[in-house]
Amino acid sequence: MWLPLLGLLLGILLGLLTDWRIPSEYSSYLSIAVLAAFDTLIGGIRAHLQNIYDEHVFVSGFFFNIILATSLAFLGVHLGVDLYLAAVFAFGVRLFQNIAVIRRILLTKWLENRQKNRL
Amino acid sequence: MTRKTIWHFTFVSLIIGFMLAVQFQTSQEPDVRDTRDIWEIRRDLQKEQELHKQLLNEIRKYEETLEKYEQQRSENKGAILRQTVEELKKEAGLTEVVGEGVVLYIEQMYDESYVGPVSDTISADLLRRLINELNMYGAEHISIADQRLVNTTVIRDINGVTKVDSYPLRSFPIEIKVITPDAEKMYNRLKASTIADDFALENLLLTVSEPQQRVVISPYDGAVRVKQMEAVEEARR
Repeated sequence: MWLPLLGLLLGILLGLLTDWRIPSEYSSYLSIAVLAAFDTLIGGIRAHLQNIYDEHVFVSGFFFNIILATSLAFLGVHLGVDLYLAAVFAFGVRLFQNIAVIRRILLTKWLENRQKNRL
Repeated sequence: MTRKTIWHFTFVSLIIGFMLAVQFQTSQEPDVRDTRDIWEIRRDLQKEQELHKQLLNEIRKYEETLEKYEQQRSENKGAILRQTVEELKKEAGLTEVVGEGVVLYIEQMYDESYVGPVSDTISADLLRRLINELNMYGAEHISIADQRLVNTTVIRDINGVTKVDSYPLRSFPIEIKVITPDAEKMYNRLKASTIADDFALENLLLTVSEPQQRVVISPYDGAVRVKQMEAVEEARR
């Protein structure tokens, strides 16, 4: 259960230690990619809690979402339209929805547990 | 949660963490700001103005030369050209120069109770530092142990022996002659400078002679090789 969190910390540490920097004109792509990755992660957690988790969907969704989001941003830059906003919007809304669902599920579980303990 | 699922989540969060860190670092990159205060800016401005003046002087000098060329083109083509060649030769260090200046001596300095390794040469770094210092104080012509310093002179350490161009500095004292427009000033500045302390750290004693009216510096004895220059097309016509 704690392993993913450990992975996150390890990733951050790795990133800070390697001292990588990307050119600032590409940083918007990276932020979109981060958002997409977050969306997939949260979506995966939700699916897992709802017992509809599928590892193929999860892993493919992770890469596909990142690629789609960055290419949308890329297209937007070349068309002169801020298309990356579409990705930000979509992922943002989904992120909130998923987190809300996770919260509700966890809340229900917690309340059930408390009731059980009382009885 | 199955083991595989946990690994997938871990993998994904590792990548997210990495991307986050890179993004964070990218956005944290400090932009170069001008942090000079007003005095520093004033000093820089003054420096630039001096440079400006110097450039203007140079332009004037060349314009005068050009005028002279034009005037005397018909009469004595050669004289001006020869004069320029002489000037350039003098600047390049190919002629003997005589003028007021100071003479510096570098000697070994070990007190009687000293036991330990004795160095019989001066480090190239220290010597370069001294030369930089001399140039900073307005030296015009310098020779080290009768080796004239020119623009292409190298001071380097070859197999533990410090060499000026290809002349090794093996025996003390080393004599450094400096010609400068104002020997008194050079003497005083050298007296006030901390360079002697740097020499003392290497067990060397730097002595500066009183300002002398007549210092003779011999010409550079090597051939000046010009590798990366060629005549401009127009000038050939």
